[in-house]
Amino acid sequence: MAEFLEFRGVSKRFGTIQAVGDVSLEIKKGEFFSLLGPSGCGKTTMLRLAAGFEEPDAGRVFLDGRDITDLPPNERKVNTIFQSYALFPHMTVRDNIAFGLAIAKRPKTEIGAEVDKMLHLIQMTDQADKRPDLLSGGQKQRVAVARALINRPDVLLLDEPLAALDLKLRQKMLIELDLIHDEVGITFLYVTHDQAEAMSLSDRIAVMDSGRIEQVGAPAEIYESPRTSFVAAFIGDTNFLKGRVLDCPDREYCRLDIAGLPGILCFNDKHLQPVQPIYLSIRPEKIHISHERPEEEPQRNYLPAVVEDVIYLGSNTKYWVRVAGYRIQVLRQHARYFLDEKPLRWKDEAWIWWHADDGFMLDHFRKADEGLLAVPPQKVGEPFNGE
Amino acid sequence: MAMTVLILVFFYLPILILVVNSFNAARFSSSWQGFTLDWYARLFHSPEIWLSVRNTLIIAVSSTAVSLVLGTAAAFALHRYAGSRLQRVHYTLIYTPLVVPEILMGISLLMAFVAAGTGLGLFTIFLAHVTFSVSYVAMVVLARLQDFDFSLIEAAQDLGANWWQSTLKVLLPLLLPGLAAGGLLAFTLSVDDFVITFFVAGPGSTTLPLRIYSMIKYGNPPMINALSTLLLAVTLTAVIASQKLARLKR
Amino acid sequence: MSLRRRESFDPDISQKRDSEPLRRASDVRSSKSAPLRSGAAPPRDGAARIWTNRAGAGTARVRTDPVRGETAPRRRRFQEWLISLPTLFWLTLFIVIPTLLVFAIAFRPANPYGGIGAGWTLETIRALGNAGYLVIAWRTVWISLVTTMLCILFSLPTGYFIARAPEKWQNRLLMLIIVPFWTSFLVRVFAWRSLLHPEGLIKKVLEATGLAGPQTTLLYHPAAVVLVMVYTFLPFTILPIYAAAEKFDFRLVEAARDLGAKPFQAFRKIFLPGIRRGLVTAVLVVFIPALGSYIIPDLVGGPASEMVGNKIAQRVFVDRNLPHAAALSAVLILAVLAPLIAVLVRQRKKDKAEIIIGEAP
Repeated sequence: MAEFLEFRGVSKRFGTIQAVGDVSLEIKKGEFFSLLGPSGCGKTTMLRLAAGFEEPDAGRVFLDGRDITDLPPNERKVNTIFQSYALFPHMTVRDNIAFGLAIAKRPKTEIGAEVDKMLHLIQMTDQADKRPDLLSGGQKQRVAVARALINRPDVLLLDEPLAALDLKLRQKMLIELDLIHDEVGITFLYVTHDQAEAMSLSDRIAVMDSGRIEQVGAPAEIYESPRTSFVAAFIGDTNFLKGRVLDCPDREYCRLDIAGLPGILCFNDKHLQPVQPIYLSIRPEKIHISHERPEEEPQRNYLPAVVEDVIYLGSNTKYWVRVAGYRIQVLRQHARYFLDEKPLRWKDEAWIWWHADDGFMLDHFRKADEGLLAVPPQKVGEPFNGE
Repeated sequence: MAMTVLILVFFYLPILILVVNSFNAARFSSSWQGFTLDWYARLFHSPEIWLSVRNTLIIAVSSTAVSLVLGTAAAFALHRYAGSRLQRVHYTLIYTPLVVPEILMGISLLMAFVAAGTGLGLFTIFLAHVTFSVSYVAMVVLARLQDFDFSLIEAAQDLGANWWQSTLKVLLPLLLPGLAAGGLLAFTLSVDDFVITFFVAGPGSTTLPLRIYSMIKYGNPPMINALSTLLLAVTLTAVIASQKLARLKR
Repeated sequence: MSLRRRESFDPDISQKRDSEPLRRASDVRSSKSAPLRSGAAPPRDGAARIWTNRAGAGTARVRTDPVRGETAPRRRRFQEWLISLPTLFWLTLFIVIPTLLVFAIAFRPANPYGGIGAGWTLETIRALGNAGYLVIAWRTVWISLVTTMLCILFSLPTGYFIARAPEKWQNRLLMLIIVPFWTSFLVRVFAWRSLLHPEGLIKKVLEATGLAGPQTTLLYHPAAVVLVMVYTFLPFTILPIYAAAEKFDFRLVEAARDLGAKPFQAFRKIFLPGIRRGLVTAVLVVFIPALGSYIIPDLVGGPASEMVGNKIAQRVFVDRNLPHAAALSAVLILAVLAPLIAVLVRQRKKDKAEIIIGEAP
């Protein structure tokens, strides 16, 4: 599959703010690609660079092999779904959808036929003559999609299209967007700050922060193998423990020295060396918790713990446990009828364990994320643990 | 709430009495002496009144047209380049006529015309009217521009429209109510202006307000009642019509 | 859903781990580059580039639009000048220059034929010190002040009430207030003149109720001037106060009541400061035009309530003494500019303070 939409080393400043800094990205044809990140990370700027509403200070943008960096938005075969939908209030639904074709001066009969087809696709044939202010949020979004798709763009750009909708509607529109992508088969570039949206819709995700790309990959890869502390912390929840590599008894596993905890095993995916400082990350759902001490099996880590907080969520429960001074989050799903079990309560002593394969190590940690470390309590004046 | 009602009564009382008295046959409006349309008849047969109406309309239409063009251009400049030094000066310049008393404007224009040796007449009135109308139009259109959702323009461009097409098909149609409001405001201000016109008018270039003033000072009170009522009726119809028009657009 | 369709995806995680990431962005590890402020989000909507083509630059609206680096500023500036020029030219010609002329003419002597004489003199300025002028100046100021205070007094409860009214009533009430404004100003003053006339309605009513004798005149008295001025300017004060009240978050007043404040206390300490901008606008919108009133004192005031405006008109049309009129006008201009500039300076200082405070981490 060829790279279809490509950003090569693009940068963009606004005043003193570097919105996008030397970013390169390749999006495949027909892919559903998401740009995911917090507010201000530069994802919207990337979208606008693709659409042509911004010119990069440096770098080029390519579409299907052609350099489109200098093309104005009306000359690019790219269409955008705006966050506010930007439906023309003085035109009917029909005229809105037909706009692109009317500008292109296609014959009236052709426009009429295409518009009717689109109306049928979004199931709004009987609302064709309404004005946008009479439509609901979901309807407006469908019109916006139709208005864009009728022009058969090479790429469809979506700028947080579901942000303005309430939860139930959002879930419904998520499915609809996915179906449309399957039906129409064009490349989607989707911008959002909502990880659930990105993960459920995308073929690949690029996680962005502060104008840079932190990681690009399939949703599962992003979730299970984050490359940076930002990605690990931004997507889902995780526990971070700081320590050093003690040694690597075999090629696959390393033993880690985390203050207060005996030799923890972890899968050595980064080919790390002994004495190297690392941050161990283990997601709450990968940790198991039980009253009794389980039977020990190889390649697993077992630790005694005390339950500090219990948050019951219905289908699962979050436990905050104290292990050798560290505060660790455990997520446990209730696969069986909950009321039959003997639940874990506050101040209970329990055992937690996880498979060495399920943890991952990061050798680099952002200063900003230091607050996420599950540090043991310090006495004032003592030097920082491990330093 | 009581205050509001009282104030509304306060507002409308004089006007109501005026209207009522325009049909009053009495010369001095304190007592009712029978219904009559006599005063209206006299108005219709007065050539001076018709002349002043003609002058007023000529000036109002022409000054509205010119101030609409100038004011809209100014609004675009103020909006698009807001914050630049030039625009800050520009804004002050436009804002000034809105806050200074009319008499200052009148007298300064008079001095300017006298110093330049221009004869006072309809043309000088026209110039004066444009000068104050421009500010009002600019403010009205500027407010509309500031509320305008420019992502609509981006959407139009995104769908293939170039600069001209997006202006014609998206910007102007949506801005039209604002332009109409500005135009209406300029027209009303021009028709109603007295002080500035008083200072820059010449002999033979009497407008309706000037005529009313001289009638008040030296003329016939009941006829003024009738004239005022007529003016009221015209204004009210215009306002109602524009409201209906605004609603129709939806 | 997407998971099922992707053939390239390998569910075996341990294999995935060994593959290099697909991205080619700069390595996060080496992010020793300049610290990036991920603060204010760059624009999403807002005018990007409506009027320029590729070679042009972006817009400079501070709110949502970026200032485009250093590229193509000359083209932008040219366009800016082009579109601003018509009004700049017109207003300079018809406002700035005439105003300067007024100041200039104040220094010239009067021509006996009613024009402007030649040469320069300070005589006109000195004549301003005449006691008569001072009386008029003083009267102008206090009539304007009283009018302003009364207007604010009446428009505060009204503006408050309308802002609290249900949505559809707000528009109707505003219309009701504005409609009289659409009628001719002269006509309204005249209506009051008739009403206050010795043979007018109000006098008749007062006589009937015994509150006034046949001798009392309501017209030609400063009180009449104030009355009609309040009548004229009240809509102008109600509107800005209403506008400010409408934007005001009334839950703040509720919070104050909740914490024990009495209604009037809450009004005074929370509401009034909250609509401060509207109040300032309202004051300016009454006080300044009031200083320059001409018609109202002329038609309902009489000689006892002559104001600066009347004097200027008299000098122009009756005495045909333009330099004197110019001198008076110059004084009025300065009197009008003073409060305006004061407000502007205070506003500038406040904005600067906010910027400084805002930048502190």
